[in-house]
Amino acid sequence: MNAQKTPASRDRIAARPQIGNKGRRDRDSPEGCPAVGLTREERFEAEALPHLRALYGTAYRMTRNAHDAEDLVQETYLRAFRAFDHYQPGTNIRAWLFTILHRARTDSFRRQSRSPQTVELTGEGPAVPPAQDALAAGGEDIVRAMEALPEVFRSAVVLRDMEDFTYDEIARILEVPVGTVMSRIHRGRALLRAALARRPA
Amino acid sequence: MSTTPAPACDGTRVTAHVDGVLPAEARADMEAHLAGCAACREQEAFERGLRERMRALPAPVVPAGLEDRVRRRIRHRPAPAAVRWLPLAAAVALAVIWGRGAAPFVAWELARDHSHCFAMEHLPAEVWTSDTGEIAEWYRQRGTDLPLIPASAGGVELVGGRYCPLLDRKVAHLYYAGEKRHLSLYVVPGPARFGSRFVTRQRGESVRLVHTGGMTLALVGEDAETVDAFHRALSMSRADASSLASPPLTGAP
Repeated sequence: MNAQKTPASRDRIAARPQIGNKGRRDRDSPEGCPAVGLTREERFEAEALPHLRALYGTAYRMTRNAHDAEDLVQETYLRAFRAFDHYQPGTNIRAWLFTILHRARTDSFRRQSRSPQTVELTGEGPAVPPAQDALAAGGEDIVRAMEALPEVFRSAVVLRDMEDFTYDEIARILEVPVGTVMSRIHRGRALLRAALARRPA
Repeated sequence: MSTTPAPACDGTRVTAHVDGVLPAEARADMEAHLAGCAACREQEAFERGLRERMRALPAPVVPAGLEDRVRRRIRHRPAPAAVRWLPLAAAVALAVIWGRGAAPFVAWELARDHSHCFAMEHLPAEVWTSDTGEIAEWYRQRGTDLPLIPASAGGVELVGGRYCPLLDRKVAHLYYAGEKRHLSLYVVPGPARFGSRFVTRQRGESVRLVHTGGMTLALVGEDAETVDAFHRALSMSRADASSLASPPLTGAP
């Protein structure tokens, strides 16, 4: 588990891009690296970017809209890139990235001091467009039921049933004990079952 | 972990069984229980089927260019000039939403977007500058004319900006930040029909909508005094500009 520290994170100005480490070559760094000749950026991109689709999928299921999902994914990659020196090559980068994704999501809630639940406004404003994947035949009910699920349960179920992580991996990603993972998955599926029973396909 | 038989129903253990995480010695007990318990068998069948159904869902479509945007931010390259705009028909339909006025609704969306952007560890700006001329040029190239804006006011200074989707319209969003305070300035082309001024608090943010010169400006910040000071500075820079723009009225009454 990577105990990623976030120095300067409370200072939003620290979000300014830092100029200076651009194109730094690893061969200049004290510790050698297997992929000699690749910049840190290139190594990171080669290792981490193949997981973009999976990260975006989960981010989308968590945030339930494309804009927030994209921001969350970008934030995840920026954090991961900053912490990339702590990542041990050859270990589970997918789980590591998902851990960062989840932490970015919870930090965002903490800073906003809001619960993950979006307040639904009725009557005024535009109708919420159906989720893009709800348009696929047959998936509509299950997508709706998923979106209605409280986020703690939704993320556990998504990580298990869609991303196929093990309980141990999910425990590390969500930073909770395995027993909690088990009960969240159980509860999440039970809520889905109840929701789907109310709205038979 | 307990290895006693499960005579009573234990849904969590059924879930664990479905996911194959029951210890070997508990598995036989679970199988025995399932053989005699229709309710738990149904749960098991549902959970196994759910997995199949969820995996069969199409993955959400990754937005075009996201990978490039990620690469660019990692390498700190400036964003390209292209901005995707809504088709005209959609823009017109949305103008109705903004125009029709539910100001509290608009304010709520603005407050949500403000806290969304500033809650991030890496402020998602696409242009980084504290220079008002530079940012005006950046937006001008993308089809948005900014009003005259202060570089700093109320303890916050300009740091950058981007476009944010608000009510499905792309709106210029300028970021101001200072010591523990942030302010968003949104520039919405076209009028909004909720009077010339609207002040409210939504989601803990102070929101101010000002209709001026054919556009709607929105100020959002946690701190009402900052928003107030910024608003005054904004009005002053506009007043300065108009006095500069008009020829000196020598000898006028």
